[in-house]
Amino acid sequence: MAIPPYTLGLLVAVAGLIIGFMAIVRERDDLHRILLTDLAEVLALVLIALVATDLAEALILPGLVVGISELMAVSEVYIAKEGLRKPPAKPAFRIEIMDSAPGILALILVAYGIVLSGFTGGVVAAVGAVFYFMCRDHAERFELIETVSGYAWAIWIGAFFIFMFLPGYWLFGVMMAGGAILLKVMAKMSLVGTMRGGSNV
Amino acid sequence: MFNLPTENIGGQELFVLEFGDIVNYFSPYTAALFAFALIFTALAIVSRPERQVDIAFGGDAYYAKEVDVDLLRFQRFMAIACGLATLGAMVSGDVFNFTLFASLVGITNIGIVAAYKNKHVLNAAFQYGIVAMLATVPLFGGAAIILASTGTLSMWELFADGVVVPIIAKAFLVIGVMGEGMAPFYVAKAEITRAQGAPFILMVHVSSLLLFLRVIEIVISM
Repeated sequence: MAIPPYTLGLLVAVAGLIIGFMAIVRERDDLHRILLTDLAEVLALVLIALVATDLAEALILPGLVVGISELMAVSEVYIAKEGLRKPPAKPAFRIEIMDSAPGILALILVAYGIVLSGFTGGVVAAVGAVFYFMCRDHAERFELIETVSGYAWAIWIGAFFIFMFLPGYWLFGVMMAGGAILLKVMAKMSLVGTMRGGSNV
Repeated sequence: MFNLPTENIGGQELFVLEFGDIVNYFSPYTAALFAFALIFTALAIVSRPERQVDIAFGGDAYYAKEVDVDLLRFQRFMAIACGLATLGAMVSGDVFNFTLFASLVGITNIGIVAAYKNKHVLNAAFQYGIVAMLATVPLFGGAAIILASTGTLSMWELFADGVVVPIIAKAFLVIGVMGEGMAPFYVAKAEITRAQGAPFILMVHVSSLLLFLRVIEIVISM
């Protein structure tokens, strides 16, 4: 007698759920509990994925987004609860060229990135931004990156609406999407430049 | 064109809103719930609790409360978002959309209860957040089992007589909604009701109450 694959998968998922929930019940450290909860949420996605149709595939993404946003909300509560906001720290080292060079180099790289556009352009422009933020103080510009990234996302969605509702203007839509992807990739990569340690990291 | 196959609890549909194959509907029951959610969202929008006063017990004196305006604004935003998510959950005609709206209500509830500086309140909000996160497992699990066993998530199909939904999926849905809408049972509530921005706490209660009423309609009709 063969067990159907769906039942088998369901059994494995249920076993995983039991293990995960038991771990959460036994765990006392709050940070570890957040992580374990995230792990258990992945099993909800497994349950959806077991259905193995196109519809299930389409349902995984919203499920994942909801799970991650809940994880972020709980993590923020954890940070506030434990008072983990760090006071501003001094940069690790400081040399003269870090004041003069970044402006020019970043400008050239970003300008060339805009000419290239799309993913490649985003990466080139991001190198400029990474260099800039690594050399200069980035505390306040961090917020700016988030804002730019948000706008880029909105532009990207706007481009999709053009494709859907005004297909005649596809070239405009492509340009919008290309520019937005440039901003988006750049914003994400330039976060690397802020990893030197500081008030926001 | 559309004909709601059940008359158990919801009654006939009054109005149908069609987005492709996702068809939202208003029956007398869901329309009543929708109207409730709408009223309380409007209340959250118009209430201005920035100048809160406490009555001194046993006398006619009162003192003004210190209110953190930034936190209050965040809380108002969360309350309005919670109202909108509740509106969506009330009229949704698709089980997966309903679960998504339910977890959205859970997220915004975390936001509402977490907007305090008090250590105890934050601690309780954290525990509540963990429960809300775990509740997405049975919530989505229930929807997935419904999809696997009946091949559809549309309530228009599921409410028909011939379709049998496994009892475990129904139980999962109810457990999930219980976890997401657990905020009213939340221990630090008394503390929160006295704290600043108390009117917005109302939204936590209303949203979870309405979610419970709606999930019961869904489970009975399926």
